[in-house]
Parts: sequence; C-alpha cells; structure tokens
Amino acid sequence: MALLELKNVSKIYGELKALDNVSIRVEKGEWVAIMGPSGSGKSTMMNIIGCMDKPTRGEVLLDGEDISKPSSKRLTDIRRDKIGLIFQQFHMVTYLTAVENVMVSQYYHSMPDEEEALEALGRVGLRERAKHLPSQLSGGEQQRVCVARALINHPELILADEPTGNLDEANENIVLDLFRQLHREGTTLIVVTHDPEVAEAAQRTIVLEHGKVAREVVNEGFEE
Amino acid sequence: MTKRRMFLRMVTASLLRRRSRMLIALLSIGIGATILAGMVTIYYDVPRQMRAQMRSYGANMLLMPEAGETLNPDKLAAALEKLPGDALVGASPYRYVRLDMTSRQQSFTTAGTDFTQIRKTSPYFSVEGRYPEAPREILVGREIAETIGVKEGSDMELTWQPTARQSEGEASDDWKPGATLSGSAKGFGDAMVYVKAKLDDGARIAEIQIDASTQTPEYGGRVSEEPLFLKQFVGKSLPLQMNVEIDALSGATITSTAVVDALNGARAADAAAQPRTTRYRVTGILVTGGEEEGYVFMSTDDLQALTGEDRLDVAELSISADEEQLNAYAQALTGDGVTARLVKRVTKSETAVLGKLQALVFLVTVVVLILTMICVSTTMMAVVSERRREIGLRKALGASDNSIRGEFLGEGMFLGLLGGVLGAVLGFVFAQVVSVNVFNSSISFQPLLLPATVLVSMAIAAASCLMPIKRAVAIDPALVLKGE
Repeated sequence: MALLELKNVSKIYGELKALDNVSIRVEKGEWVAIMGPSGSGKSTMMNIIGCMDKPTRGEVLLDGEDISKPSSKRLTDIRRDKIGLIFQQFHMVTYLTAVENVMVSQYYHSMPDEEEALEALGRVGLRERAKHLPSQLSGGEQQRVCVARALINHPELILADEPTGNLDEANENIVLDLFRQLHREGTTLIVVTHDPEVAEAAQRTIVLEHGKVAREVVNEGFEE
Repeated sequence: MTKRRMFLRMVTASLLRRRSRMLIALLSIGIGATILAGMVTIYYDVPRQMRAQMRSYGANMLLMPEAGETLNPDKLAAALEKLPGDALVGASPYRYVRLDMTSRQQSFTTAGTDFTQIRKTSPYFSVEGRYPEAPREILVGREIAETIGVKEGSDMELTWQPTARQSEGEASDDWKPGATLSGSAKGFGDAMVYVKAKLDDGARIAEIQIDASTQTPEYGGRVSEEPLFLKQFVGKSLPLQMNVEIDALSGATITSTAVVDALNGARAADAAAQPRTTRYRVTGILVTGGEEEGYVFMSTDDLQALTGEDRLDVAELSISADEEQLNAYAQALTGDGVTARLVKRVTKSETAVLGKLQALVFLVTVVVLILTMICVSTTMMAVVSERRREIGLRKALGASDNSIRGEFLGEGMFLGLLGGVLGAVLGFVFAQVVSVNVFNSSISFQPLLLPATVLVSMAIAAASCLMPIKRAVAIDPALVLKGE
C-alpha cells in the first residue's frame, strides 16, 4: 500500500515550473532518497510532501488523504500527526535543553512526557546530554536530538532534508545507522540529499532534474 | 507533565535564558509602569498636596452674620464644630471698628482678630518685627506707620468713641453717680422684664423698680412686689452677681435672673457709651501690599476690653477642600444666624490650577504609556525577527497559529507582570521622592495601586505584542527547510 502518492503534480511560480507533472509513489515502510542538483525541484517537492506548500496542479495522497487542497490549518494538523521532520540546519530552540526540545514536539502533538523524551534521547545515545542547551552540543549531537524529536510522536513518515549536510563522516554514519534502525522498525523514510553515499543507504533513489523525475534507481546493495 | 506546565517552562526558559533582549523589554515595561504608578499616585495626591499649598493664597470662605443677627466668638466656635477637623486650616475672626488717635487727630480702621489664626488664613502677611503675643500689643499697617511715624516698639494711645448703643438696654443718661439706669431682659417664656434703678452718689443702687407684668402673676410676677427680694438690691454696686449677691425669689428663678441681667445690661450699655482710651505697644509693622496696610490689628480680647462688645463682623476661613466640598461645607455652616460663602476669586483659581495640573500629569502619563508601548512593541518586533527560524520550526513541528499567539502573548504578559510589580514598587518610590522634594510631604501607599499597575502593565504588554504576533503568525514554516 502506498503511503505517499504524487499524481501529475506541478508547481508553477510565474514562468518557472519548479515541478512539472511529477508522479511518484512511496510504499509504507519504504526508504527513499531524493537527489538532484540545485533548482531541480527538490525543495519544492519537500515542501509539498511536508504539508508546507500546495501544488499548483495535481493530487498528493498521504496515507490516503489528499494534501494538495486543504487549508493551511488542516495541513498543520496532518504534518503534526503524520510527519517527523529533520533539517540540514538542525533547528533547535536555542533556549531549551535537549530534552525540552524533544518535548516541544510532544507539546504540539499531544502531551509532553519527559520520561518518553529521555528514552528517545537514549535511543540516539544522548541521554547523558539531555540537560544541555544546543550551544553546549556538537553539530552531530544536535542532529541526533532532532532525530529523537522527529521520531518521538511515532510519525508515519520521516522527512529529512539534507540530514547529514552539516555533519562529519562519523556523525553521518551515526545518523544513517539511526535511519536503518527506524527503517527496520517499519518507519517510512524520505531523505532529500546531494550526497550519493547517503542516497545509496536508501532502498531506492529518485533523481529530479528541471522539475521532472529524471530516473529512479533501486539500490542493489541495500542491506536490510 | 501537563501542557500548561510545558507552556510555562517554555515561556520562562525564553525569558530567563535569553536575558539581554528580555531585559530591554522588561526595562521598558518597568520604566513605563514606574512612571504610570508614580504619576497616578501624584495625580491623586496632587490635589491634596496642592490644596494645602494653595491655602497660602488666603481664606477661601467667609462666615458672616445674617441680616439682623450678630456673630460672636461662641457662635463662630459652634459653627466651626460642623467642619471636619482635618479640613480646617484656620479661622480668623474679624471685628472692624474705627479708633481715634487723639494725639494726632487721626482715626484708623482697627481690626480685632486672632493672631494665631491669622498666620494660618493669611500666611502671606509679612510682619516687620513680631506678631503680638501679650495683651495690649498691636500690629500697625505700613501705610499708617509711615503716616504717623510709629515703629516697632512705639506706643500708641487709641480711643474708642461709642456712636450707637448695641445692647438691649434703653437709652439713658451718662454713666455717673446719681443717674438712673433702665434696662430689660428676657424672662420666663421669653417675655420681657423691665427694670429701672436710681443710683446714689457712690454709684450704688438706691431704688429699684421692676415691671414684671408679662410674667406669671403668682410666680415671676411677684418680683416687683416681694420686699425681701427687692431689698437685696439696695446699696449694691453694678454689675451684680446672681446667687452671690442676689438670691432668686423662690419659684421665680428665671424672672429673678432676668432682673439682674437687665440691670447688668443697662450698666454695660451705659458703660459702653463712654469713650475709652488704652495705650498699646506696637510689636510689628504689617506689610501685605494690600489694603491691610491701612489697618491697625489687635487681638479680639483687647478690642473687646476697649469696646465692651464681643461682636464679630466676619470670620475668614481657610479650608482644605475642593470647590464641591467647599460648597457642601458652606451649606452646612449656614444657619443659626450665620451665612457662609466662598471667596470665588480664590476657590475658582485654585480649582483651575489644580485642573490644569492634573490634566498635565494625565497627559504625561498617556505619553509615557504610548512611548512604553512603542518601545515594548519594537523590542518584541526585534524578538520576532530574531526568532523567525524558531517560530518557523515550531510551526513545522505542528504549532497552530493560536499556539504561536499564545506563546508570544504569554511571554508578553509575563514581562508585563514582572514589569508591573517592579513598576508599582519603583513608582511609589518615585512618587514619594517627587512628593518630598516638590511638596515637602510624604504620601501613603495605595494598596490598590499594585494590582492596578500590574493589570495595566500586562494589558499594555499584551497590546504591544499584537503587531509582533501578527508578524510571527505570518512566518512560513517552509523557511526552516530552505537552509536559511
């Protein structure tokens, strides 16, 4: 069953066709990488999948619900309930501790639960650093907090935008290992990336060029 | 953990861990609240302060006898009883008579007054020398002093020439031995009892005649015939003391007293008809710049001794109250033969000055509040731009517009709360300093001021947050993806 389906989606800004009649399908539990050079429409697609933008034309089905039409309020609800976001720049609330940052996500979703947030930090190996402010954490640690924050509400889909773009090799591997774990648990992952190594970690890579799907590659060497 | 606790944790963390920016907002709210609390305190305290100050411009109420009535110190004291004690600043009685200075063939208007009170009702009076303290000490207006050349320490002989009879006694011959006196007084049932007495050479009563026909015949009426009663008068000098020199006829106490009163009254009236001269010591020259410089001032007691009358023409009252209260006091004082009226010149200008002062304080307060709002609003605006990414992140994490509004409003209100408490305390100190330095008196803390200041501060903080919140809500969550 498809968790996400884009049917003939176009996004047009004046003359520019950021997305041009794109159709893709992501199955439940699948791990997909989206690659492409700058200006290929990756960000636009990410915004649409992340319920932060609407396509000009076409239909987007997330878990069976059309997310190409609803009000931004409804989109906020869908994003909150179904999607966990991970960003290249980490984006933590600077004046909240690691555990509090995780709890912010719980706060908007349902109920803050410090124990559960600490457990999530434990999963990413940062239980000891729970009371630290972002400024006291390394980039890799911050991104791991963001992973914990993304998974805390058990989303259907984790959407990661260049998650390792600002990390060194060691931290990149830690994050990829976390993705593998999530994948094994059945979480659907969509990772937008420049990095072929990161793309290769996924089951399948969709390559965008000039707003169109240029090709799809199934990674033969994918290890479960 | 509940959502509310997390909310509070986020709001306080934002304020406590992002100190510098929040300190500026807190400072502006705090200063605004300080000025607000201070100004409000002064606004309500200024009339009280200024009214006390303005009393230096002179009396604001006059108390006069009604037509056909007389005013005397007892009536004045009775009238003043009706005023609340803390409102009355001073009450100066005045009796104006013309006294002659025979040595210079001059005559001066002389005011009998109370030198203690006059300093309260007319604090602008300036005396070269000192105010009289002992009997037979007087003040002389500068104009008179210059005309006749008296100085501090000079002596002045003043003579009172009676022109008309004031008492109830009938006209009689001059007060001298061998004369006949006649007088009357109210007896039983307010009916008049008439008495005539012939005096011998030693001014003792030789013969007495009583007309008590208006009194009850079997009681008071007997005084004119009862020899034991009449015999008591013969050979005695006036004035007579009831129950000491004269015993009342049993069953006719009131009528008996009326007889004695009539004789004493006749004697006083007769005595009052005599010119009398007394020597006074000038203790100071009065400088006012006004008509008072043409007057001689002596104590009511001295003037009474000279004229034999305790009559007053007017009393000047200085009352600390606003115009409305003054009108109410005037109404309360009027009656029992006296009329009170406001000195419009003083009360009107006082009201006008206070009104303008309050308007000024009000205006300053409003301006300060607007400035505070602009300052807080600007700071919060800067806070919003500074936290664009954080707001975008929160929205990306699923924060609804209302959550964002709530969080910013929460921070704003919390700042308002802290600033308000700070402001209420500092504002009181500020008002106190102003009061002590400008008005020379301290003010009492109004307990209501604390909650009022806090509420207003919170409202202003909330209002200041409206624009920044609008901007925060408009932030696009997608910006967090673009790697900004």
